[in-house]
Amino acid sequence: MAGAAETRLVNRDSSEANAAAAGAVGLAALLFALSLAALFEVVTISDPIAGIPVVALLGGVLVLLGGAVVSFGVGSYLGVVETRPSASAGLVAAAAFAAVWLAIGGGVAAEVLNVGGVGSAAAAVAVGGVAFVTAAVLREDVGSTLPAGGVSILTGVAYLTGALGPAWVWELNFEQQASLTAEFVIPVSTLACALLTGWAAAKAYGGFGARGRRMGAYLLIYLNAGSIVGVLFLLLAFTAFKGLPGLFTGAALGPGVGPAVFGISLPVSLPFVTNGVALLNEFQGVLPAIAGTIWLVVGAVLFAVPLGVGAAIFLTEYAERGRFTQIVEVATNGLWSTPSIVFGLFGFAFLVPRFGGNKSLISGMLTLGFMLLPLVLITSREAMLAVPDEYRDASAALGVSKWQTIRSVVVPAALPGVVTGVILGVGRIAGETAPILLTMTGGTFVPGGQTADVIGGFQFTSTPPFVANPELLQATTALPFQLYALITAGVGLGDTVSSPEQFQWATAFVLLLIVLSFYAIGIGARYYFRRKLQYE
Amino acid sequence: MIGSPDIVSSSALARRAERVSSFVDDQESRALVTVGVMVVSLLAALVGFLLVSPLTTLPFAVFIVSAGYGWLRFQGLTARMLTLAMTASTILILLLIVLFILVESIPVLVYESTTVLGVSVPGLRMFIQANWDAVSPPIRYSMVPMIHGTVMVTGIATAVAAPLGVAAALFLSEIAPSTVREVVKPGVEILAGIPSIVYGFIGFTILSPWAADQFRTTGQGSYLFVGIIVGLMALPTVVSVAEDALSSVPESMKSGSLAMGTTDWQTMTSITIPAAFSGVSAAVLLGVGRAIGETMAATVMLRGVPQLTKPLYNAFYGQATLTSLIANNYGEADGLQMDALFAAGVILFFTVLAISVGSQYIEWQMRRKLGGEG
Repeated sequence: MAGAAETRLVNRDSSEANAAAAGAVGLAALLFALSLAALFEVVTISDPIAGIPVVALLGGVLVLLGGAVVSFGVGSYLGVVETRPSASAGLVAAAAFAAVWLAIGGGVAAEVLNVGGVGSAAAAVAVGGVAFVTAAVLREDVGSTLPAGGVSILTGVAYLTGALGPAWVWELNFEQQASLTAEFVIPVSTLACALLTGWAAAKAYGGFGARGRRMGAYLLIYLNAGSIVGVLFLLLAFTAFKGLPGLFTGAALGPGVGPAVFGISLPVSLPFVTNGVALLNEFQGVLPAIAGTIWLVVGAVLFAVPLGVGAAIFLTEYAERGRFTQIVEVATNGLWSTPSIVFGLFGFAFLVPRFGGNKSLISGMLTLGFMLLPLVLITSREAMLAVPDEYRDASAALGVSKWQTIRSVVVPAALPGVVTGVILGVGRIAGETAPILLTMTGGTFVPGGQTADVIGGFQFTSTPPFVANPELLQATTALPFQLYALITAGVGLGDTVSSPEQFQWATAFVLLLIVLSFYAIGIGARYYFRRKLQYE
Repeated sequence: MIGSPDIVSSSALARRAERVSSFVDDQESRALVTVGVMVVSLLAALVGFLLVSPLTTLPFAVFIVSAGYGWLRFQGLTARMLTLAMTASTILILLLIVLFILVESIPVLVYESTTVLGVSVPGLRMFIQANWDAVSPPIRYSMVPMIHGTVMVTGIATAVAAPLGVAAALFLSEIAPSTVREVVKPGVEILAGIPSIVYGFIGFTILSPWAADQFRTTGQGSYLFVGIIVGLMALPTVVSVAEDALSSVPESMKSGSLAMGTTDWQTMTSITIPAAFSGVSAAVLLGVGRAIGETMAATVMLRGVPQLTKPLYNAFYGQATLTSLIANNYGEADGLQMDALFAAGVILFFTVLAISVGSQYIEWQMRRKLGGEG
């Protein structure tokens, strides 16, 4: 589907006007990047670049860009440039322009002209209305360039004349005081202008009309997809950058430096993940939290996976579509969207009194199991529905019973989908904080000696319920809760760990690493199985 | 004609009963006994668990043994019964959630009742005055400030997640070349995988101080930035559901449009999006549901004071949401205050459940309209 309408026949981009429009798009992109840098204080707006104040520089570029965009529109209107404009820019663009100009009109009237609430509202409506009419009534080439270029020129002039300088502040007269400062307003309005003019220039590049609209829309959509990936990359890179020093505190590499596993010393020592917190420790670590997270995941998987897969088998293979399956579907989707904190409340009211009355590991496991159940059920059901009916028919034709067919045909064929769904679900619950907040967690720092050892904890007793496991009935900690506790503990942290901030970031990084490795495995497994199924 | 639906449903019921009895007749009697023991022991274990009985393990052990025996001797029937029980458990869990959070919130509903026109309405005072005070008399548990906070955060989050999410879904399902899609799609999934506490931590250490400095507010925590972060977290839900809706539009409809000589953007705006409109709005609704239930980022970044912001539209200050109220106060709360937290949970649960059911209804209608298979 993508690119199906692109043909070389309609592409006539060789004129200078097209080159100029492409240049304007590039300039807008540059401006976009510059204003982002200013917003995150990589570039300060008060310092000059090469002797020119940054605000004046931005203003100059904005005026240039706005002028270029307006001249494209007017040139096309006068027939200087050959284009194929539609009758109007369309209602969506008109509404967007109206909103932008409404804000400008209202803001200028209230802040510069001081005309009061009613006056500024009237000015806002008047200015917004003019912009709306311009875009909705005039021909597309003028209708989509004049309002966009106008915003840019106006903003640029405001920067150049110093009406909107680095020291500019707008006190919002709220009861709880807040103000809009130039450090925020200048980058954000530059950003908005870059978007508007970039869009208009892309339309001009496409020669307006159907192709021009496609250009403009694709520019914005590609930008959006790019920024989502960019934000993701930024988040991960930033956390890694901040967390790595803490993670490698006291790390050593060499024969025999690490902790002993089965009598053999590992060649790597990473105190942050192999130590607990203790007074005499040289380096503090989060081992109990990691162990707690692992046990939580194991418990939740043991509870939810058999239940979810079994229910999916019943729904796809045995049950006839009817009232019952519909109710189950609604209930499953309801469970899937139930807020995690509500699961926490439920665990607190339902599970905690039934497992000794204290917060306990098993309550946390089951609470997370309840959360995992709908995810496993939905993905397993999808995987089983995707198994072709021919498989079942072929098996039935051999005289095999229904359950045998399910066991040896349907489930194996659906297994890749089920496994992928389970892994992605586990990644999700491993990072959950809210449900375990109320059901299983204890203090901020946990000594290494309290690392949960569930297997070693089983005991048999002579009184009901005959089986006991104190490890399961104890409050323990987990990585997401540990991070929450580190955030809320605030000042007191410095007494226990030497560099609280490093410790926090390292905890966040380890948590992110564990959760995302589940995701990486899940996504990788999906690709592997899909490719394998395609080759067969 | 009156009463005919009853007749139909009763005859359907009779047919079903007949089918069940003929199914029972087909089975061996020993298999039936085994299944009977399984069902009774499982129900007994459930009742025991609900009554907090230490003897719960006994019927559960009986269930395990009988299920094991049944698995070895009558595998088909046992598997069928076991999977049926597992299916029923999903409904059971939802019912238990409803039951337990409702029961826990009853005392505070009774405490906060007001008389309207001579009739005492339980819980009404939580919504008609805006004072939350759990310490000094008069002790009041108003939900108004938290509902305001949730509405502010959800509104801002939707304004972020809905347009960006739908645009990204359009990109993934219609525009992106396959190599680009292979990069962006897992990226969106990983965005969903970042734990909310990590978002909250970054927001708390980086964004909140920055915002307080930029907007010159007293102290940190603003609905604006919590809303933006929560919007980023709701984004993947919107993208994946909207993408499903967009790609469920039959290819023949799109090809027909393209054959008329339209650009692919024209096809999207005049064919694909209108055809998938209900599915896309279901995606936005589900995103709203996610935003309402988001807890940790709001807990860490907001001030945690149950008050309204002044004026009400002041998004530069952030006090508390329904979710952050629970997470902030569960520690020291007991008695009536804990029940008030459960009341907040009830509001959250039923709001989100209504959104979930509503979006399912919309999706179901769309599937029926497009004639795809359910």
